[in-house]
Amino acid sequence: MNYRDPQLKDALAAEYVLGTLRGQARRRFQKLMMQIPSLRESTWLWEQHLHGMNQLLTPITPDERVWQQISMSLGFVDNVAQAPLPETSNVVPMATRNRLWKGLASMASAAAIVMAVLVVNNQPVPVATSQQVAVVQSAQSKALWLIEVTSNTIEVRSTSNLKPLANKDYELWMVAKGVENPISLGLLPKSGKLTLVKNSQFDDMDIVALAVSLEPLNGSPNGLPTEVLYTAELAIL
Amino acid sequence: MDQDTLLNLLSASADGDKQAFADLYQSTSGQLFAVSLKMLGRRELAEEVLQEAYVKIWHNATEYQHGKGSVLTWMISIVRYRALDMLRYQKVRKEDPLEDGQEAIFEEHINDDGPQVHKNKLDQCMGELEPQQKQAIHLAYYNGLSHHEVVGHLDLPLGTIKSWIRRGLQQLQRCLSL
Repeated sequence: MNYRDPQLKDALAAEYVLGTLRGQARRRFQKLMMQIPSLRESTWLWEQHLHGMNQLLTPITPDERVWQQISMSLGFVDNVAQAPLPETSNVVPMATRNRLWKGLASMASAAAIVMAVLVVNNQPVPVATSQQVAVVQSAQSKALWLIEVTSNTIEVRSTSNLKPLANKDYELWMVAKGVENPISLGLLPKSGKLTLVKNSQFDDMDIVALAVSLEPLNGSPNGLPTEVLYTAELAIL
Repeated sequence: MDQDTLLNLLSASADGDKQAFADLYQSTSGQLFAVSLKMLGRRELAEEVLQEAYVKIWHNATEYQHGKGSVLTWMISIVRYRALDMLRYQKVRKEDPLEDGQEAIFEEHINDDGPQVHKNKLDQCMGELEPQQKQAIHLAYYNGLSHHEVVGHLDLPLGTIKSWIRRGLQQLQRCLSL
């Protein structure tokens, strides 16, 4: 067969892309593509022609484990628990709630450095009114939100590192010693700055940490964090 | 997601940018999974193909060229060829063979908000095919069926199916090249 014959070439390329060229013929075609550039080009053209049909298919979200397996195969992470979910790209959900509370004690020397820089560089902010600060960081130690607690408010600024999900909200919680469940402090801004009213209990409690959870739009449906993404330690100024 | 955005993500991935690759995955995996699932019909196999395809996309990101079509087309090709391999070597077949009413299921998956201009031209050209030609091409393309398997679904002689598909593709090409 003369594979340089334009008609034959097109017919074979079309059936190769369609998937009806099978068996030995398919393997022979693949080998010829490596040798004959025009055959390759015909194939690319048919891919462009026919793959438009796929754009009519409604996307279906694959299971999370697909991305986790890909991350592992490519050596991005050592094990599944470390694989960041792509849809919350700078987010690593805590594997278990248990791990969250246990991890609190050992947190945040990096955060402390960021906070120091923040405070030093932030002269126009009257330091006297800020009583406490916290930096919510991603798993890659990038600052996502800067939190300043003043006498009556909690000022939150999101950073450009944040890549929020459009169909989710992020909620801030305080975790206090001797209080079983975290207490909501309000929704975090997905961009820019937001002032939250400080919970009246805030100053009376021994706050171990702040936590950020991923929630449906408008926040937790049941008053408890749905999926804790990060925690941050409060530093007293 | 437009071609420029995908191209930026792909070229950053080619440079080893893992975050860009994660974003690329997030932007395209739903579409590619639909392709894979449609062909294989079983979720776990479709996920396996998807996973292998993205590993290949990461490794081959530097090999993408504009001549190979849009970034999405190129990625769809990788998924499809992997899915065809899977169909061939594992001889997997859908647990529920296509039956009457299959077209109805098929219609449910059609999303008419598709963004591509090319798509409209393709729709138009597919619309100009004989209904049976179109059906044979759809079965082969979306479901990864061989000529023999299309025979099984349409209950017509192999020679007829082959020539329908061949002539349908020729006509499609003439129409798309206009």
